[in-house]
Amino acid sequence: MKDTFILNILHRPEMVPEYAEKVTGQGKKEDIGRKELLTESLDIFKLQQEIAHQHGLKTTIQMTYSSLFNDEAISLAKEHHEKYGDEISLTLLGLPCKEFREKYKTKDFCIWMFSMEDKKAIVRDVFEKFHDIFGFYPQSTGSYYMDAELINFIKQEYPSVKCAVATCWEEGPKAYRTCNNSWYTFMDGGPWNPWIPSKANSHAPATNEEEDSGIVAIPHLSRDLLACFDGNGSNFGTHPQNVLRGMIYKDGKYPYLYNLIDQYRHLAKYNRGYAYNMMFVGPGWMNKAGRWEAPYELLVQSYRDCMAYYAELRDKGELVDMTMAEFADWYRANKTYTQPECALWKDILYGSEKQLFWYCDPYYRTCVDMNQGGAIVDLRPYAAKLEIPVGIGTGNVHDASYPFLVQSMYRAGYFTHYAGEGSIKSCKVSYKGEEADLCLCRTKAKFSEEGNDRILTLDPVDIEFSDLTFKVTTRFIFSEGSSEIKISRIITDMSNPDAKVHINEYITACYGTTEYPEDMNGIVLRCRGKEEEKEIVYAYKCREESVKDAAAVEAVVPQVKTKMTVYPVKGTFEGYFREGYAFSPMFTLGLNTELSNNEEMITCLKLEKVD
Amino acid sequence: MPQAGKGRLNYRCPACFIRELDIDMFYDKEKKEYYCLRCPFTGTEEEVLKLNEMAKFRYKAMMERITDFD
Repeated sequence: MKDTFILNILHRPEMVPEYAEKVTGQGKKEDIGRKELLTESLDIFKLQQEIAHQHGLKTTIQMTYSSLFNDEAISLAKEHHEKYGDEISLTLLGLPCKEFREKYKTKDFCIWMFSMEDKKAIVRDVFEKFHDIFGFYPQSTGSYYMDAELINFIKQEYPSVKCAVATCWEEGPKAYRTCNNSWYTFMDGGPWNPWIPSKANSHAPATNEEEDSGIVAIPHLSRDLLACFDGNGSNFGTHPQNVLRGMIYKDGKYPYLYNLIDQYRHLAKYNRGYAYNMMFVGPGWMNKAGRWEAPYELLVQSYRDCMAYYAELRDKGELVDMTMAEFADWYRANKTYTQPECALWKDILYGSEKQLFWYCDPYYRTCVDMNQGGAIVDLRPYAAKLEIPVGIGTGNVHDASYPFLVQSMYRAGYFTHYAGEGSIKSCKVSYKGEEADLCLCRTKAKFSEEGNDRILTLDPVDIEFSDLTFKVTTRFIFSEGSSEIKISRIITDMSNPDAKVHINEYITACYGTTEYPEDMNGIVLRCRGKEEEKEIVYAYKCREESVKDAAAVEAVVPQVKTKMTVYPVKGTFEGYFREGYAFSPMFTLGLNTELSNNEEMITCLKLEKVD
Repeated sequence: MPQAGKGRLNYRCPACFIRELDIDMFYDKEKKEYYCLRCPFTGTEEEVLKLNEMAKFRYKAMMERITDFD
C-alpha cells in the first residue's frame, strides 16, 4: 500500500455543550434552554464547518439529540451534505436538552452509563427521530465510549451503522483525577487507532468474523502515545484546544500540535503504509468566553491553523479526508482481523529520548518501554474477550476499562517505595553476587517485519560488574495471530569469554483497572517441569516454588478469565513462581538460566482465555 | 464581602495544574486576587500568568518543530 494518511473530521451541533453551561453560565441559575446558549452553540458549529469547508475538507456531521429539535441545525446538515459531501451522522453525545430531560427525567448524558433498558429506549428514540427527519438511518454513530452490549443492540436494530466513535484512549483514572475527581470516563485499555470491536468487549478487537460486532470503531481523538500514558489525556491529542489546555504553547504558537499529527503520519512505517488521524472538537471548546486561560481568539485561531495544516498535507497528496462511513469501507477493504496496530513512538514534548513501542491485536495490547531496557509496562489480555457490562443496573455503573495484567504506572513497575514489587516484565542478569535489572538500561529500538512477525530490536545495552562486562541485545517478536510474545536475549562482548551469566527472565503481574489493589485470592500459580508440577492458590503467603527443566510457568487469573504462561523456546530453564503478600499484592513468574558469550535464549509469553 | 466570581479569564490554579489537577480559581474583588478552592494558593493575575509559564518547564521540546520520528 502506498502511504495513506486518513483523516476523519467530526463536528457536532451540540446545543448545550458540555462545559458551556457550567463554565460560561457561572453565577446564573441553571437553564439549559437559555436562548443565548443555544444560539452561541450553533454559531460555533457553523464556524467549525465553515473553517473545514474553506479548506475543502469533508466532515462527518454528528447530529445530537438536541440538534434534532433545531430546524436550523437540520437544514445546515442537509445543505452541507449536498454541497460538500459531508456525512450526516448521529452521535449519542449531546443528549442534554430540555426535551431529553423532560422525557427521561435525568441529567445523565453518557450513553454507556444508562441502564440497558434506557440505552435501548434512547437509541430507538434518536435513531427513529433521525430517520423521520432525514429519511434514512445513519451509517455512523458514537460517544466517548460505546459498550459492547450497546454496539450489538445498535447493529442489530440499525444494520446501516458501520462506524462508531467507541473510546477515548487511556481516559480513565488519570482524567478523573485531573478533573478534580468529577469526570467519570473510566475507559482505559483500548486501541489508540481504529479497530473492529468484538461482540464481547468493544475495547478488544475481533479475532474473526464470528466475533465481529459489525462496525469499525474509531477513537475519540488521536492521542500522544507517550504523554497520555502518564498524563492527562485531554492535554495531548489532535484537538487544538486540548493542547492549549495543556499549556503547550507560547506566544500563540503550538508546534507540538503539528509534531503530534506528523508522528501519527509516521506510524505508516509500522503499519504497512496506513496511518490515521481523528479530530473531534465539541463546541464548548470554542465559546466566546474563552476556555480557561485561552481567549476566544486563540481558540479559534488554533482550530483554523490545525485545519490549514491538514489541508496543506492534503494538497501535497499526503492526506486523504474521509467521512466516517467512507473510512469504515476503506478499513474493511484494507485490513484483516489479525493485522496488528504498531507504534514505535518517541517523546515529542519533554525533550527526552524516551521511546515506547505499542502493539495491539485481537489477543493483547502491550507497551514496551525502551527507557527501561525494553520492559513491558502495560499488558491487556484481549484474548480473554472479557464481557464487562457497564451502566446502571449492571452492578458496574462506571468502570468500562479493559483490565490489565501489567500496568507499571498504576502498579509501581520497577521502582517501589521501601518494600514490595511492582508490575512489570523485565530481565535480571547476575554474576558472582552482583545483579542488574535491564529496567535500568536506557536504550532505543528499531522496528522490522519478517513475514507475519513484527520485530522490535533493541540497541545492545552495557552491563558492568566489578570483574565482568558484557552486552545484552533484546529482540521482541510479535507473531501475528499467535497470542504470543517471544523475547530473545543474546549476551555478547564478554570481557571474560569463559564466564557464564545468570539470567532471570521474569514478569511481575496483578490485575485491575485502577491504581488500587484488587483481591488476589484464587489466582493459581503453577510450575510445570518435565517430571514434576507444583501449584498453589494465592493467599498472600509469600510462597515460592520452582522446578528444574521447566516446560512452563503459568498463572490462571480467574478474575479476568486469563491464563498467562511463560515458557522456554530456546534454552534450558529453571521455572519458578512467587506469590506476593499483603504489602506486595503481585505474583511473579520467572525462568532462570545461564548464558555464555554469544549465546541466545528465547522465551515466550502467551495469553489465553480460561472460563 | 460579596460572593466571589470568575475573573477576566477563567484561570486555573497553577499549583494544582502542576500536579495534574485542573481546578478553576475564583476572584476576590476586595483583595484583588485569585484563589483556589482546593489548595491554599492565592495570587494576582500577574503572578498566575508567571506561574503558568513556569509550569511549562517540563515541556523542553514544546517549541521545536520535529521532523525525525525514528
